[in-house]
Amino acid sequence: MSDHTAPDNSVDPKLLEILVCPVSRGPLRYDRNAAELISDKAKLAYPIRDGMPIMLEAEARRLDD
Amino acid sequence: MTNGHLTPKAGQPAQPPAIFDRTLLRQRQDRASKAFADHDFLHRHIAEDVIDRLETIIRTFHRAAFLGPGAHYITEALTPASDVSHVVSGAFSPAMARLGTDGAPRLTADEEALPFADSSLDLIVSMMALQSVNKLPEALARMRAALRPDGLLIAAFPGERSLHELRDSLYRAESEITGGVSPRLSPFTAIKDAGGLMQRAGLALPVADLIRLPVTYRNPMTLLADLRGMGETSVLTGRRKQTLRKDVLVRAMEIYAETWPADGGGVTATFEIVMLTGWAPHASQQKPLKPGSAKASLEDAVKSAEKD
Repeated sequence: MSDHTAPDNSVDPKLLEILVCPVSRGPLRYDRNAAELISDKAKLAYPIRDGMPIMLEAEARRLDD
Repeated sequence: MTNGHLTPKAGQPAQPPAIFDRTLLRQRQDRASKAFADHDFLHRHIAEDVIDRLETIIRTFHRAAFLGPGAHYITEALTPASDVSHVVSGAFSPAMARLGTDGAPRLTADEEALPFADSSLDLIVSMMALQSVNKLPEALARMRAALRPDGLLIAAFPGERSLHELRDSLYRAESEITGGVSPRLSPFTAIKDAGGLMQRAGLALPVADLIRLPVTYRNPMTLLADLRGMGETSVLTGRRKQTLRKDVLVRAMEIYAETWPADGGGVTATFEIVMLTGWAPHASQQKPLKPGSAKASLEDAVKSAEKD
């Protein structure tokens, strides 16, 4: 890979295209600042650590609104 | 039944209980990631086999996911002939998923709840992961759904006869000393069931092959250390309730060394890997014709054959 300037916590766009929420199978919103992938349907926010999405329900933050 | 009476079976629970403790598995694999390179011969072997298979298939895989511990070895070994463009490499353990320096994007994902959109991939390779999934048919169905029509699934996992020497030694030692036995090793899938599982998941043209790998270890304890290093020691639920007694382990190691000596010293251990391949259905694939769709009558065919 020649792209050394990519920010640390950005997710590969090609990967983002194919990901869905593993719980609801619904779409995900990429929150770049919070480094999270948000599933509105399941009310879960999956963390992104060093550019790697952690798509586990057990690791997700619950959205309580 | 000697008395001619059938004893009523205990009521079956509506939901089958989880056989594998997946949280424990993730902890084991996180830990194993630290020195994985010292215990990766099986994973490297599978990666080579996968590459061989991909090279013989004449087609481009635009989007691929390689999943499981050691999945990064597949990405590292990719050749131009394997014709794979975009790869995501992942595992259930985040630390395991990060291994490798191939530059492919990384993902932490659970085989029991894969996060891929329907029809989003041309190729999925599952490496050494399906042996500890609680709902194997559902996991395979999820993978199939993630494949585009004519997409390929390759799944490699330990077969039924894997580690039969160890299983047998533990069994014999435990029954000798305690008079009872408890499962110490996970049950593995028999190859005869593998093709059926693929078909049940809606995968076409299923093929199951077996790789048999006899390995020599200095002694049975080095085998156990290697399994621990792979993160592959048993994660059966309930195994923690009955920890293995030291005297049983010592006796099992004796039985192992006596029963399966290797030529030239040490002991033999059998690793058997089931290699499953199947395709997401597509109109272009060969399949039986529908009944009644024949263009020539059977009667005419028989008549003309009789004339000859």
